[in-house]
Amino acid sequence: MSTTLVAVGRDQILTITQDVFAAMIDGGEVLVTEQEGPAGDFADPVCAWVDMTVELLGLGARAVVRTETAAAHELTRALLMMGPDEAVGPEDLVDAFGELANVVGGNVKSLLAAPAVLSLPTVAAHPPELAQSQFMQDLTVDWRGYTLVVSLWLIG
Amino acid sequence: MYVLVADDSRVMRQIVIRTLRQAGYDWKIIEAADGQEVYDLALAEQPDLILSDWNMPNATGIEALTALRQAGCDIPFGFVTSEGSQEMRDQAEAAGALFLVAKPFTAESFREVLEPVLA
Repeated sequence: MSTTLVAVGRDQILTITQDVFAAMIDGGEVLVTEQEGPAGDFADPVCAWVDMTVELLGLGARAVVRTETAAAHELTRALLMMGPDEAVGPEDLVDAFGELANVVGGNVKSLLAAPAVLSLPTVAAHPPELAQSQFMQDLTVDWRGYTLVVSLWLIG
Repeated sequence: MYVLVADDSRVMRQIVIRTLRQAGYDWKIIEAADGQEVYDLALAEQPDLILSDWNMPNATGIEALTALRQAGCDIPFGFVTSEGSQEMRDQAEAAGALFLVAKPFTAESFREVLEPVLA
């Protein structure tokens, strides 16, 4: 049941990510491409995640976006149309990067097999630790030379 | 046109306003950051249109819409939300929303839903 609930393919995650970045950040241009191989560890990571909960089943999914803080700063500048030398404050970083995860997660939610409730986004250096058995899918992408990882986990 | 744009994300409010301008709608905008503010500002300011996120703290967008309709307020209301499933669209329509624009959106997405409202 749980794996059926979150039967979302990597190609679907890629399409969602490309659509979100193209529409929100890159003026319609698709600059997100799949990156082969594992992303490895980020030196200065930042993560944003949203939960999708199917209350009747007590189950759900978590969509996590993680990258280097420098990349999240660049995303924030792009979203807020800031200049390349403008400093990004922590509040804007949390808002912008969290909203990115929110839109990705909201689109993933529409692919779940049952209606779910979407949480507000959370942003931190690391997401809460989940068991490897809860891992469902991940995708590593390149955006303007930065690496981002979108992953999907079972929760509940 | 006097329009209330509601989203708990300041970044997303900016993107919505920017995209409206790209779509050719150079409107006077007021902003709300949660569902309670949508309710309060709608009644106090009487905007011509409300564009609201769904998932917000201190009352969701659909809770704000339901409360406004119960208060006798019939300001045209549309959702701009990351959740565009048929279930959400049906729920939005049942509560009295005119449309639901799914994020990510384009200027064309706004024109498609707003032109019939403005006609």
